[in-house]
Parts: sequence; structure tokens; C-alpha cells
Amino acid sequence: MLANSELMTVSTMLLMVVGVVAGLIAGAIPGFTIAMAVVLVLPFTFGMTAVQGLATMIGVYVGGLSGGLMSGILTGIPGTPSSVATTFDGFPMARKGRPGLALGIGVWSSFFGGVISAVVLVLVAPQLARIGQEFQPWDYFALMAFALTVTASLAGDNMVKGLIAGFIGLLVATVGEDAVVGVPRFNFGSDAVQQGFAFLPVLIGLFAFTRLLSDVQDTKKAQENLGAHSAESVRIEHMKAAKEVLSRWGNLIRSSLIGVFTGVLPAAGSSISNILAYDQAKKYSKEPEKFGTGTIDGIVAPESANNATAGGALIMMMALGIPGDIVTAVMLGALLIHDVVPSPTFIAEQPTIAYAIFIAFFLANFIMLAMQSLTLRGFVAVTRVRMYMLASVILFYCALGVFALNNVQFDMWTLFWFGVGGFVLRSLGFPIVPIILGVVLGNIAENALAQVIAISTDPMMFLTRPWSLFFIILGLFSSFFHVYQKNRSIKRWTLGFIPAMCLFLSIPVFMMEGVFRPVLGVGLGLFGLYLIVQRARSGWKLPDAEPVMEVGDL
Amino acid sequence: MNRINRDTIVAIILLLLVGFFAYSSFAIKTPVFERLAPGQMGPGFWPRIILTGLAIMGLIYLFQSIVNPPPPGEKRGGLIGWYRHYKNPIWCFAVFAAFLTIIPVLGMLIAGLIFVFSLMTMLGPKDGLAVKRHVLTTFGTVGGMWFIFACLLEVQLPKGQLTSVFDEWLLVNICGIVSSIGELFADAGPSCSALMPSV
Repeated sequence: MLANSELMTVSTMLLMVVGVVAGLIAGAIPGFTIAMAVVLVLPFTFGMTAVQGLATMIGVYVGGLSGGLMSGILTGIPGTPSSVATTFDGFPMARKGRPGLALGIGVWSSFFGGVISAVVLVLVAPQLARIGQEFQPWDYFALMAFALTVTASLAGDNMVKGLIAGFIGLLVATVGEDAVVGVPRFNFGSDAVQQGFAFLPVLIGLFAFTRLLSDVQDTKKAQENLGAHSAESVRIEHMKAAKEVLSRWGNLIRSSLIGVFTGVLPAAGSSISNILAYDQAKKYSKEPEKFGTGTIDGIVAPESANNATAGGALIMMMALGIPGDIVTAVMLGALLIHDVVPSPTFIAEQPTIAYAIFIAFFLANFIMLAMQSLTLRGFVAVTRVRMYMLASVILFYCALGVFALNNVQFDMWTLFWFGVGGFVLRSLGFPIVPIILGVVLGNIAENALAQVIAISTDPMMFLTRPWSLFFIILGLFSSFFHVYQKNRSIKRWTLGFIPAMCLFLSIPVFMMEGVFRPVLGVGLGLFGLYLIVQRARSGWKLPDAEPVMEVGDL
Repeated sequence: MNRINRDTIVAIILLLLVGFFAYSSFAIKTPVFERLAPGQMGPGFWPRIILTGLAIMGLIYLFQSIVNPPPPGEKRGGLIGWYRHYKNPIWCFAVFAAFLTIIPVLGMLIAGLIFVFSLMTMLGPKDGLAVKRHVLTTFGTVGGMWFIFACLLEVQLPKGQLTSVFDEWLLVNICGIVSSIGELFADAGPSCSALMPSV
């Protein structure tokens, strides 16, 4: 009730509307990511309450996920990576003379996808949060390690670079006074550095700065219009679109669940879920040959999946305190700014904020639907902005926003130096996301380790506590998941990867309290054994190689 | 075959930096008056764990770069080619650094106007029409953002040593008018400023 009363105020609602519109605009501009939009909105939230700030950012998040479909459908250029697959059928449908229907299907699929994931969020997160209350410092630390390994493994071909990036982020977080005895570390005599680096300048420097400078690297591209032809004559066909989407409820629910599941995986995100959902919709379709020519299912699947991913990412953030994607990583940072420490006990300790997030996410989908329909022409006009103008203005805004955090000019220099560092690292092929996660999770992991050592110096506790062991095993397997994915159907050892993971994970699950989880552990172990027996019977023969759809192929 | 490549050099620099930070980590001393309790983690312990991990990864990276060197990238024609490739980002950083340097002298507003206009004109077309557009966009966006932060959010933006009188005049006249309007509305109903977060 408290969450409701704090959220249902005129000012919070207005801020959410502004957030959704900002997200829609950001999503509509090709090359302008949702994460960047959320990062840029963050400085405005300092003066707000935690509930208002998070509600605004959720508005941006939901708006951004939906905004990408407009430029994707009307121009063939996806506004964000989360709407890449939407262009496959959305753009052909628009070119066939049905842009209003294509937009309508996109808008309504986004809405239903968001609502379905909001329902899953409300049902699942509190259940997971109960588990979080069982966590001890060993489990926290293992969880943080797991979050970092997953992010690093998703860094692409070079896992080592991902892990190095994660470690660099952790190292950055150690600069300044340590939390235990307050001794300055790595400040090299500088009083300004002694306080440590504020999170926001580091984040904006690494992310927004790096991204913008990459966008203006090519002078010719920087001076071009970002896309978008005229959309003056486009009107969204709401009624017909809503009926078409609902009549494809199987595809809608499947794609939404794919979105939620992808969101739950740390750092997977909507850029993957929209393609996975499109791929599955094509496989299940009775007319797969029509995909790519402007079929309705081809718009429903990616659009419902990418909006549903937000719910999944929020489940992970709220239930375990680790980010599901870069946007939730920023939200974790925002929570820290409001003195709320994200952890597996977040829902139990901060019920007002937690339930406000549930409600805000639910409401944001309705606001998105209304705002997208009302202001379509305006959003399309925004995509005519030239990148160099946008970059110049945003760089100034970054400096202004960063200064507003503490009224300290040193923060603007922090922004600059991390911008330089981020750009150099990115140019050398190091991913930025693990660095940001390292910065966010570094102090939390250090505090957990300090508690662990204060209680017991026996490292075996990490292996004897079920949750800790669970996350260590999961972290080890997830570290090599990318290698497994790359070699699946090519190398024989990959046949043993999933069975081995099931068998190993069954051990900590079996060790857990109660009846359900040990039974689940036995089931998991038996499933692993079943897979081994099945594969041994077939002589460990590799299945016929099936082309795997990857983001890079698109 | 020449096995020295970009990754090898980056790995070596990384390892040198790790060595430097590891050396510096031994300078982190717990103060004498703050005796660590038995089992209490020292301030240098966690950084050294991270540096160990970073060193291991750096060595693997170095090994990878030698054993399995990356394919040669596109030839950029030496230093001049490299500069041409990264010209825009380098100038962006330079102009941004100059902007930060002149803020204490000219204040946030004027330094911001100079920064945004310079960057736009440097990155974009330079014909008369484009420059006019840049001037208008600069005044609209920088002025708008200054107004939001200084007047609505009441952030104390940096004033310049040379322009402090002008900055003060703007604050009194522009923000003063806004607050007067706000007070007028406050008499009639809920305040405008109630809708805006205060920083």
C-alpha cells in the first residue's frame, strides 16, 4: 500500500510519462541505446525519492524497448539492437503499404509482452526473494563471482578480454577509502581521488562517452541524417492490430516467455531475446517461408520478446541483487545512490521500493501504449537529427549531469578520463559492460568477503554451503558456455556439457534444506544421467549440424 | 614470423600496470591506532586478490597473443593513417578537456556554449547555413539545459572568475522571474516546483 501511495502521485506519474517519452525518443534514434538513455536520465533522479527515480528509469527502459520498433518498421534501420528482428518483417510490411498495421502490431505486441512479463515478475520475484533470505556472506560472494563470470563469458569470442575487463572494473572500485578501516587506497596522494570515484561519472564516461565517440568517428556518417523518411501519412491501425496479435496468442506467450527467460540470464538482454523469439516463431510456424516478407508473426515474436526481457532482468535484479542486463546494472547504481544496497534480501528489506518497481513496470507498459500512439510523428521527426549534433549536445549534458551529482568539478574530470580509458579499451576489443559490472559489484563483493573472513577463515565453507557451491559450479559452467555454444554440433565433448552441468548442480540442490529442493536435486541428477545414457546409446554421435542464428549473422 | 602484435603489446602494458598496482598495494598500511581484529580483512587484501586475477588473465592474454596471434587488421598507413582514423574522437577529447579547463574561468554557461558550438562546427559541415544552424542549436540546447539545472533544479553551476557578474545577473533575472511565476502559481494551487525534483 505504501508503494502504491508513493507511486500514485501526480508528480511520479508525470515523471513516468516523461521517462517513457524520453525512452521512446531514444529508442527511435538509430545508434542511441536504451542503456545510454537510462544513464542520461540518472542525474535527474538524484533529487527524487528512490521510488520516483526508479519509476522514471523504468519508464525510460520500457519506452526505449518499444521506441526501436518505429525506426525499424518505417526505415528498416533498427533504433536499438533489441528491435533488429522486427525489421525483418516490419519493414517489408511497411513497404507493402501497411505501415500503420505494422506499427500497430509492434506496439500491441510490445504492450502484451510487457504485461505478460510484469505478471511473471510479480509472481516469481517474491518467491525467489524468500530464497535470498537464506543467503550468508559466502553465498553472496559466490553470487557476485557468478555474475561477473557470466558477463565475461558473454563478452564474445574472447572470454579472457571479458574477464580482464571485469577485473579492471573491480580494481576501479577499490580506489578510495576501504570500507573496513577507512584507509585510502591507490589515491597516490590526491585528496580528490581519496574519496573514490563516484559511480555516475565512471558509468557515463565508460558507456555514453565511448559510445558517442564511436558514432562520430566517421565524419561522413556523423553528418548524415540518422534515418527516417516521412511518416506524416502513417496512422496506427489499433483495433485490427490488437486483434491480429491476440489471435496469435501461442506465439505471443512463447515469445514473451523467451524474453523473460533471456532477461533472467545475467547480461543476456533484449538484443538476444528478439532474435531467439523470431527464430523460434519461424520454426513453429506453418508457413516459415513467409518470414522475411512481412508476416505478422515475424513482428509479434521479437516485439513481445524484447519488452518481456525487461521483466526478466528486473526479476534478477530484485530477487538476487545482480543485474540482468546493462540497464538494470545502471538501476543498481541508482539504488546505491539512494543508499539502498542491492542484495538477495532486497525485497524483504525494501518492500516499498520493490513493490513500487512491480507497479511502475506494469504501469509503464500502459503509458508506453498511450504515448507511442499519441506522438508517433514527433518521434519519427527526431530520427532526422544528425549524429554529430546529438553527440555534441549530449557530451555537454553528460558534464552537466555529472557535476550536478555532488557539485564537484573533479567528477567531470573523472568522466573525461574514464571516457578516454573506455574508448581506448573498446578500440582494443575489450567489452565495456564487465567493467561497469565490476565497478557496481566490487564494493558489495568486498564487503561480503570481509564478512566471510570475519566469521571464518576456512575456505571450505564456500564448498560446503549449498548456495555458495551452486553459484561456484554455475559460474564455472557459465564461463565456458560461450565455448560450448560455439562448438555445439561440431565437437564431441559438447555432448557431455549439459549432462555434466545437471549432475554437478544436482549436488548443491540436493544439499539444500526442506523437501522440495532435495527432490529437485535428485530429479536434476537423474535428468543428467538420462542424457548421458541416451547419448552413450547413440555412440556419442554428433547431431546433424543445424545452422545457429547469431546476432552477428544479421 | 613476427609474433609481436597489438595484443602482445597491450598484454605487456597490462602486466606492467598490474605490477605497479601490486607494488603500490603494499604501501596500503593499516594505521597503528586501528589494530585489525583476528580474522579482520586488511585494506590491501581485496585489491591483491583482484590483481592476482588480473595478472593470471594478463598472462593468458599474452600467451594467447603469441601462440594464436590475431589476424592483421586493416593497414592504416602509419601514424598519419592512425591519426586520420581516430581524428574525430581525439579532437572531441581535446575540446572536452579544453572545456573543463575553461569552466573555472568562464563559467559553465559560456564554456558550454563555446564547447558545443566548437564541437558541432568541428565535426559537422562548415558552410554558412550549417554554422547558423549550429549557433541556434547551441543557444537552444545549452541555454535550455542551463535553465533546467540552474533555475528549476537549483544546482549551483560553476561560475567563471571572469564572468561571475554576468552569471549572477542571469541567475537573479532569469531564475528570479521563474521563481516569481512559481510563487504566483503557488497562491493559486499546487506549486510548479512541487513537480520538479530539488537537487
